[in-house]
Amino acid sequence: MPVILQASDGQQFTISKPVAERSMLLKNMLDDVGENEQAIPLPNVSGPILAAVIEYCEHHKDEAMPAADEDDKVFEASKKKPDDIDQWDADFMKQGKGNEELFEIILAANYLDIKPLLDLGCKTVANMIKGKTPEQIREMFNIENDFTPDEEEQIRRENEWAADA
Amino acid sequence: MANYGALAASDLPTTWAQLETGIDPIMNKLSEGLSYKRWMDLYTLIYNYCTSSRMYGNQNDEPINSHSSTRGANLMGADLYQNLKKYLKEHLDTLKANADAQMDEDLLLFYTKEWKRYTTATAYVNHVFAYLNRHWVKREIDEGHKNIYDVYTLTLVTWRDHFFGGGPGTIQPKIMDAVLKLIEKQRNGETIDSTIVNAIVDSFVSLGLDENDSTKPTLDVYKQYFETPFIAKTEAYYKMESERFISENTIVDYMKKAEMRLAEEDNRVQMYLHSSSQKPLLLSCETVLIKNHTGPIQEEFQNLLDQDKMEDLSRMYGLLSRVPESLEKLRHTFEVHVRKQGLSAVEKVAESAQAGPAEAGEEDEEEEPKPKAPAAGAPRKPGDVDSKTYVDALLSVHAKYSDLVKTAFRGETGFEGSLDRACREFVNRNVVCEKSSSKSPELLAKHCDSLLKKGSKITDEHEVEEVLNSVMTLFKYVEDKDVFQKFYQKQLARRLVNAQSANGDTEESMINKLKDACGFEFTSKLQRMFQDVALSKDLNDQFKEQTSRTQDKVDGPDFQILVGGTGQWPLNAPSTAFNIPDDLLKTYERFQNFYQHKFSGRKLNWLFHLGRAEIKANYVKTAGKTPFTFLTSTYQMGVLLQFNTATSYTFTELATNTSLDTPTLKSALYGLLKSKTVTVDNPSKVWEPENRWELNLAFKSKKTRIKVDVPMRAEQKAESEETHKGIEEDRSMVIQAAIVRIMKTRKMMQNQVLVTETIEQLKTRFKPTVSAIKKCIDMLLEKEYIERMEKDREMFAYVA
Repeated sequence: MPVILQASDGQQFTISKPVAERSMLLKNMLDDVGENEQAIPLPNVSGPILAAVIEYCEHHKDEAMPAADEDDKVFEASKKKPDDIDQWDADFMKQGKGNEELFEIILAANYLDIKPLLDLGCKTVANMIKGKTPEQIREMFNIENDFTPDEEEQIRRENEWAADA
Repeated sequence: MANYGALAASDLPTTWAQLETGIDPIMNKLSEGLSYKRWMDLYTLIYNYCTSSRMYGNQNDEPINSHSSTRGANLMGADLYQNLKKYLKEHLDTLKANADAQMDEDLLLFYTKEWKRYTTATAYVNHVFAYLNRHWVKREIDEGHKNIYDVYTLTLVTWRDHFFGGGPGTIQPKIMDAVLKLIEKQRNGETIDSTIVNAIVDSFVSLGLDENDSTKPTLDVYKQYFETPFIAKTEAYYKMESERFISENTIVDYMKKAEMRLAEEDNRVQMYLHSSSQKPLLLSCETVLIKNHTGPIQEEFQNLLDQDKMEDLSRMYGLLSRVPESLEKLRHTFEVHVRKQGLSAVEKVAESAQAGPAEAGEEDEEEEPKPKAPAAGAPRKPGDVDSKTYVDALLSVHAKYSDLVKTAFRGETGFEGSLDRACREFVNRNVVCEKSSSKSPELLAKHCDSLLKKGSKITDEHEVEEVLNSVMTLFKYVEDKDVFQKFYQKQLARRLVNAQSANGDTEESMINKLKDACGFEFTSKLQRMFQDVALSKDLNDQFKEQTSRTQDKVDGPDFQILVGGTGQWPLNAPSTAFNIPDDLLKTYERFQNFYQHKFSGRKLNWLFHLGRAEIKANYVKTAGKTPFTFLTSTYQMGVLLQFNTATSYTFTELATNTSLDTPTLKSALYGLLKSKTVTVDNPSKVWEPENRWELNLAFKSKKTRIKVDVPMRAEQKAESEETHKGIEEDRSMVIQAAIVRIMKTRKMMQNQVLVTETIEQLKTRFKPTVSAIKKCIDMLLEKEYIERMEKDREMFAYVA
């Protein structure tokens, strides 16, 4: 039985149950409430973002769900290799997505409890930050520098040990 | 951050008010259903609240673990968690008020129903709170804070501490009371709804939560609140029941009852208890039902043995084997019983042998008339039993109890041991062996002989094999294995010399069995005897060939010889002289030459007393005109050939002509007379020196081949006694050798110690008697191998 998702803007998507169940949130809810023909309201996700998320879930629908205890291991492994991103996933995160959209996807993944997508989003952001100066990062993410020069100097000194040799 | 409509993040009171309105129907009216929207709204409400840290972060909320949030981002959720906790408590307080009004089965029904409702609902709540679990709770647990659980565990802990147990007025004792009453009803034979107990057990097990790691279940709650009182109650119940039952019923009935009760309790575990209870439950049942009553049960054992109650014996073993130390007494009783059975079986055999005629007494002679039973006045001794009857009697006792051990006692090694000890006793020390403990091995060997001999009643090879195997079963118990060896060797020699062995393969298989049981040395002589037989066959062929090449082949008789090594053949040289008849002299000399030529330096001893001959008579013929053939011993042939010269001789004349001594001649003539080949003038004075012996020219018989070689009964007797005497002599040598060996190493030894040591050294071959050892010591004193010490006459010293 297909599942109907309704985004915050009222846009509806009909997807198959296995696709929906990539989201632990939806899986638990479907288990609890049982299947019916009602649309499932997702008040925290907008139509375009939901569409992107569904695209991701469609692509990964046949993969095995990571078991609970396996989760940590997978996470540990991927932490060591932030570059190691599946080609499809990398393209998926890049294609025509601005920063705003990227963060919305991360938020949606957190809300819907889709662990692999959340990890993918965070990894992508990490890769964006890597090798950049604080000024570049501030510029990229549109962050206002609220440190005083003194504060900034102090932080720099405290973290000197971590700077490149 | 995008928040929408009514669900926009707001402060705690507003959020909780909304949450409570949503959770309430889940907790109380879940059966009415839940829509996607309601579920989603609740989740989103919590999500929005928890992600609103920047908006309300440090203003309204007092995080319970304020210091925990100093590191990293501040996570919202503590106050939701606390509110939920408080809500659950209140919810359960209401439940408790309702439960207090209930009793017994109603209470159980109420409890299980509420348990099911509560756990189902809280599983939903847990899902709805998933965001809180994933972030705030996870962080708290990661940081090692106690008493913070994921929401589902929180609901169980709250149930456990505020409804089930914990403070006063909790319902757990009432529940257990009701459960135990219910189980007792079932034990009393009433039908109960076991699913109720099952649900209670499940609930108790679920409430076992490891305080340190809520994902790991423990059985603490179940063990403490369920298992312990349950087992105490069980013990009390069966203690009463068993004491009453055993005083009103027989032990046999009690055992049935106990067996049934144990099965019931085992089944109870399968039916509704946690599997971990099986061991402690059965252990306590075993204590009350069996261990406390071992005495009376053990006492019944002898009765059951006496009546051969297989089923009850098996049941008794089944029960008592649960209390292993109680089996020792049974094993002992069993051993005594089997020994008694064995002894009385032998007594019966001995009695009937004494009472009945000597029927089937010696099976050695098949064709010729049976030797007369001993005179009525002389009762037979217990030792005169038939070997087959004797062996069968021993075997049947062994087989019966071996079977009992295998089936009723499940082949338990302790009982196997008792059986072995008992068998060893009755095989070696019974009424037949009274005079001489070596009677058993002698009869056993005799039995083997009758099986391996031509004309044995059992001809099927497999059957013979089976019987021989059973003989080996008894052989294992025989202490005087040397006696068996002696007799077996003797009889094997006789079988081979007289070509009476029924089957070479069977002979070999039996020797292999003996070799397996006693080692190579035990059978080496026996094997060499077989080799001699094979070598003799070649020798005969060669001799025949040589003879056929010489000119005078026609006038000699057919000739066959068996040449055996003196060492391995237990045969004695003839005690009498013998004139070799002229007809044979040439052949005798020719073979003598042939052999000396082939093996110079070897000496041939001719054992004429073991020889046999076939003589064709031309003076009498059967009705069909076939000449009779007489099967005789060599000596009888010597006598018969005399009649070629004259038809009548006196006893003295015969003695002179043959050179045979009187007993041997008598024995030879006895067979001739019995078969009516010769007659005597004066039958009333047969053995008078001047009595004339005449060839029976009117000999008549239906058979064409007549066996004349009949040993006198006295001879057989003598042979057995001689063998025994031989064994005594051999043993004397063996004992003396052992004493000398011991004394040589010890130099000085006290009498008693020496005797003990000697017995110890020889026990694998036979059990020497103390008197035999004393005799040997005396002999050695005489031969001056050892001497008595001057100061202490009880001390011996080795004389170098």
